[in-house]
Amino acid sequence: MAILILLAKPSEEVLRVSVFKKKSLTQAETEIIENFSALEKRGRQIIAASKVAMAFFLKHGLPSRKMEDWHYTDLRTQLNRVAPYSSEADGRSVAPLIPDNIVLSTVNGKALSAPLVSPLCGASFTPLDTLTPDRKATLPQRLSAENMIAQLNTAFFHDGWKVDVFEDVSLDKIIEIQNIQNGAQSHVCFPVSAEKNSNVTVIERQIGDDQDSFLSSVSHLDLAEDARVLWIIIRRRGISSTELNQFNARLNKNACLKLYVMNIGLGLLRQEINIDLNGNHADFQLRSINLLSGKSHIDTTMTVRHLARATTSKEIMRNVVTDSACGVFQGAIRVARVAQKVNAQMVCNSLILSENAEFDAKPELEIFADDVTCGHGATVTSIDYDHLFYLMARGIPESQARSMLIKAFVSELVEELNRKEIEDLLQMNVEQWLQMHI
Amino acid sequence: MPVAPETIRQVREIDVDQYRYGFETKIETEKAPKGLSEDIVRYISRFKEEPEWMLQWRLKAYRRWLNMNEPRWARLRYPKISFQDYYYYAAPKNKDQKGPKSLAEVDSVLLETYEKLGIPLREQEILAGVHQQNEQGRVAVDAVFDSVSIITTFKEELARSNVIFCSISEAIREHPGLVKEYIGSVVPMTDNFYSTLNSAVFTDGSFVYIPKGVRCPMELSTYFRINERNTGQFERTLIIADEGAYVSYLEGCTAPQRDENQLHAAVVELVALKNAEIKYSTVQNWYPGDKEGKGGIYNFVTKRGDCRGENSRISWTQVETGSAITWKYPSCLLRGDYSCGEFYSIAVSNGYQQIDSGTKMIHLGKKTSSRIISKGISSGFSSNTYRGQVTVHRNAANARNFTRCDSLLIGHDCGAHTIPYVEAKNCTAQLEHEATTSRISEDQLFYVMQRGLPEEEAIALIVNGFVKEVIQKLPMEFAVEAQKLIGISLEGSIG
Repeated sequence: MAILILLAKPSEEVLRVSVFKKKSLTQAETEIIENFSALEKRGRQIIAASKVAMAFFLKHGLPSRKMEDWHYTDLRTQLNRVAPYSSEADGRSVAPLIPDNIVLSTVNGKALSAPLVSPLCGASFTPLDTLTPDRKATLPQRLSAENMIAQLNTAFFHDGWKVDVFEDVSLDKIIEIQNIQNGAQSHVCFPVSAEKNSNVTVIERQIGDDQDSFLSSVSHLDLAEDARVLWIIIRRRGISSTELNQFNARLNKNACLKLYVMNIGLGLLRQEINIDLNGNHADFQLRSINLLSGKSHIDTTMTVRHLARATTSKEIMRNVVTDSACGVFQGAIRVARVAQKVNAQMVCNSLILSENAEFDAKPELEIFADDVTCGHGATVTSIDYDHLFYLMARGIPESQARSMLIKAFVSELVEELNRKEIEDLLQMNVEQWLQMHI
Repeated sequence: MPVAPETIRQVREIDVDQYRYGFETKIETEKAPKGLSEDIVRYISRFKEEPEWMLQWRLKAYRRWLNMNEPRWARLRYPKISFQDYYYYAAPKNKDQKGPKSLAEVDSVLLETYEKLGIPLREQEILAGVHQQNEQGRVAVDAVFDSVSIITTFKEELARSNVIFCSISEAIREHPGLVKEYIGSVVPMTDNFYSTLNSAVFTDGSFVYIPKGVRCPMELSTYFRINERNTGQFERTLIIADEGAYVSYLEGCTAPQRDENQLHAAVVELVALKNAEIKYSTVQNWYPGDKEGKGGIYNFVTKRGDCRGENSRISWTQVETGSAITWKYPSCLLRGDYSCGEFYSIAVSNGYQQIDSGTKMIHLGKKTSSRIISKGISSGFSSNTYRGQVTVHRNAANARNFTRCDSLLIGHDCGAHTIPYVEAKNCTAQLEHEATTSRISEDQLFYVMQRGLPEEEAIALIVNGFVKEVIQKLPMEFAVEAQKLIGISLEGSIG
């Protein structure tokens, strides 16, 4: 940033170096390239698509802040090393959040055996590893210079779960996808399709311990006409984890997707959410709660493309940032020329609680249709002193008063869920975080 | 909600084929050889009789520029600019470098041009009330034609208040100390691609110095006119308001209708010391190109104000209707404690115009505040982008920002985009982007609703009152269009 250069007044020398220095490979880049060649040596079959993706990565490398999309998350400097593949035996899944859930686990990148469900339940669950290379190659991918996550994931992915919910099926049980990563490195993929007029709830749990880990996880969701999906992501990882996550969804006519995201623990996370509203009257709702502490860095980059008439979307983000954590929200609502009568709203509210915390927001609108209603807002503030005073004047100790206010700030989103059992789960997570950090 | 017909009519009135300043002045000019090289930089410097340090400064910038890449992040599409195809210096011939001493020495063709443009250059007439202007309405004008300043009016009267108002070339000769101290201190020589190019080849622009405690007795203004074919105009303006000083400055710009694209890359630096206030207004009406998008000015401008002292205040007001390409982000560095930055903008794009404009408010001092109000209207095949950044740094305790941007689309073939960047590194910051319903003070809303207005009308009243009040402050001597735009309704805004 030009202005920052002025303020820091670096010597001419430093400036010259940064301009003329030829891009050399960072350690993380070298490790990724070495890992890829090691895959072949280890006898893993590499499909053609993976090779194409790796060629992209070799050409573009890790993204830096010079790329507009990665301005606030500079992987060239922030990703110092890549955790190696582990040779240890695979671990076990964890208990489901709700006893009845259909559990689909991947542990350190390997899908565990299929859940015991009746084949008549109306859905099918297939570990990706069991697919033929031809079928693997048909998984959707969007390779481009900026899309580093797709490059890496396509180059390395090996396992994951393919889920199909059949036509007219309304699944009573919740599908719980567990992606457990304890140290080491893995790359997983979850293609999910909800066929015509189906209805399903998915909980995606991203869990891991405090060891160094490196993970890329990509979910593809296809909603056919009139399909309804409620998808909840709960992320609790260790402070040394690095996760590159992508959630891609395509919505057909009248389809409806509600996505809830709660991030409570992580080291470095880049979460991309790409939604295409392809059919008329498709509706997308996002509620996202980020509770950040320590040195966490989270970057949520969302693109919602309204490509059909009368599509609607609403995104609400609530962030609480403390310690020296850093949060980023880059949201873009793109309305195509044909997408008249669109209603799209995006709001990002952040609370900064400590001196070293940081939040950067970029809520972007791109509009080509003239009869639409679009709104975007971003606020960043600290806890309102008047509110705090009000509570303390009534005898509530300061820390408790703070907790109450923060809880109210985020719980508002949880309450919109209208699913008691899941609401309780999320509230419990919020409370645990507050006890530890406030 | 559909766009109000009145708004459509108003926007149509300033459509690209309605451009009224497209005439050309037939005058013999003296030009530097075509293209850009170290020799051209030396030529410009020699022609302006500049001291050695200025030449070295230019050369340093030029050498640095050779190693820079053109920025491509903006939402603008245009063919690669061939910098060797422009003339970097053009001036009306037979003109003594030091400029005419009085109006009587100015070429009558030029005077006619300015008369046609409606720019008051004749002090006598203004004083005699020919233009029916009162004491308050007087404006001192620096008229810049292609690469040189033709004349600066009211110089003597301003000198009585110790205000320095002259062309930058003259300032480099007459007030080297001041220029040396401040030039490049707000926009560093190598800030960005276009400002570096400007640092190497800048020709004319205005220099203003308001001494301690002086309230400038009249409005100052500069009128820029590009006339010559295939020229680039590189304006450099430097305004310094010393402690407790006040100045209001207005710039206007027009150019003849031509099929080829012309280049305008300006750098404007403002410095406000303790308790000083600078009001900078722009009415930008460069030739926007024709109906098919042929021709028009490429406008790449770096404007930055530095609120260096406590309690200083800088406000940018801009009305943007011209140019084929606009790349412009008037910014404020809020360095002094309690300093305040403001940005008010109305940008209207028609035809094939492309605008990527906005502001940067960089909060560095304690209790600094900033306010951004932007209205964008696009019609025809144009693209209109607001790109604004608000950054609160670690030490900027209790900084506040309020941003509101509205955009309006007329027709099916244009685009309106909004890209705000909100960066907070301080926990006492209070940043608000967009006046969503909830962000309007509930007290205000309650007050208005209590008097019988329904909620929606009450909100409209508060928001519009807010916008109108500030935009009306714009001094409107130059552009009739701008005056019309003030009242434009944004009913039917898309977001």
